[in-house]
Amino acid sequence: MTQCDIAAMKATHPVFCTIVPPHVLDKLAQADDPALAGPARRTLEADAAQRTHRRLTTVLGAPPAAPPADAAGDKPHRTLYDAQHRQELPGVKVRGEGDEPGQDATVNRAYAGLGATFDLLLKAFGRRSVDGNGLPLVASVHYGENYGNAFWDGRQMVFGDGDEIFRDFTLPVDVIAHELAHGLTQYTANFTYFGQPGALNESVSDVFGSLVKQYVNDQTAEQADWLIGAGLLAERVTGVALRSMKAPGTAYDDDVLGKDPQPATMADYVRTGRDNGGVHINSGIPNRAFYLLATALGGKAWEGAGQIWYDTLTGGGLQVDASFTDFARATVAAAHARFGDGEEQEALLKAWSQVGVPTG
Amino acid sequence: MRIGVRRTGGFAGIERYAEVDTSGRPDASEWQALAEEAVAAGRGTPPIGVPDGFSYQITVDGKTVYCADPRLTEAQSKLISQVLTEGA
Ligand SMILES: [Zn+2]
Repeated sequence: MTQCDIAAMKATHPVFCTIVPPHVLDKLAQADDPALAGPARRTLEADAAQRTHRRLTTVLGAPPAAPPADAAGDKPHRTLYDAQHRQELPGVKVRGEGDEPGQDATVNRAYAGLGATFDLLLKAFGRRSVDGNGLPLVASVHYGENYGNAFWDGRQMVFGDGDEIFRDFTLPVDVIAHELAHGLTQYTANFTYFGQPGALNESVSDVFGSLVKQYVNDQTAEQADWLIGAGLLAERVTGVALRSMKAPGTAYDDDVLGKDPQPATMADYVRTGRDNGGVHINSGIPNRAFYLLATALGGKAWEGAGQIWYDTLTGGGLQVDASFTDFARATVAAAHARFGDGEEQEALLKAWSQVGVPTG
Repeated sequence: MRIGVRRTGGFAGIERYAEVDTSGRPDASEWQALAEEAVAAGRGTPPIGVPDGFSYQITVDGKTVYCADPRLTEAQSKLISQVLTEGA
């Protein structure tokens, strides 16, 4: 038994089981040669997994606000903050649950988007908030100056007003739901935010983001546009959205932004150390599998395909470092448990096979 | 002094890089003080970021440090924003 094994057995503190110094690992991990970058990245990834776990434990131990007395009920508990263009969280409280809409359209959109996400989780899947236990939903808007991004910090959502490329990140409801779905993943499968599990984490957020948009618009799978972030690109950018679940790689092609780098199948899987190992790139593959399943089944996507994805995410059968193949196999098991050997099973196997992810 | 900022990740996963060469600039000493403060608080390896959060790589005269949203110091946040706005 090595010293690392021993350390890992009593791992109350982070364990660094490598003889390669972190800065060398980091250099290797940044290398463009995947043969060099791969092993270094995997080591850093193991470290990241531990830290993600610690963060989750922290979050579970200390929710952002005490749930109200009726949290076990069927109502969201939303609190909106205005970061006032600074980068300190959460900022100044501007709207609590049940308060009337104010003058700020960004606040109102975020409030409505959180409500829509809460609604879908409850009505379609019987889940009370992202943790299943009425977790209060907290979001800050107007974050930073000229800030073209939105993120989930482990406890709350954060939205910027955009920059020369992106508009206000609260404009598309699927972007709001995408961020909140990172909370859902954190409290369930908790996929490590790197490489394939990281791309699954991203894909799950796109899937639930799109489902919330379809739910709000009362659309069937055929009627949906399957775009993520439609309306987010500034007028001068050539593109329709940030990602397309239907046709990954086709959302934009712009002289400043470049071309949408998402692959649609495993044959075009992108190996990179950037973007946490391409989490926003390779998510195109499971995204398209979901689209293929949902359109094959037809009707409301959250009823069939969405239910299978939800069961997979919450089923407890996946490791935090699950690969695409692990996830695909788990969807097959979840579909079998939920729907038996019906058309769902057949459509699911076909969808994964079309994107080149083995299920056998 | 050459100050480079590489921003990766984010909701869009699109990378940006910009660089400022302070030599000959009238405000070179302000840049230098800000850069030194930002680098002193940086890490030698990339911190694990949050979902969709930006990660940054700051390089000052060949020395590189890392930081990530939402945990930037004021100096890091100011330097990053200045370099990405004014740099080429
Ligand atoms: Zn995301």
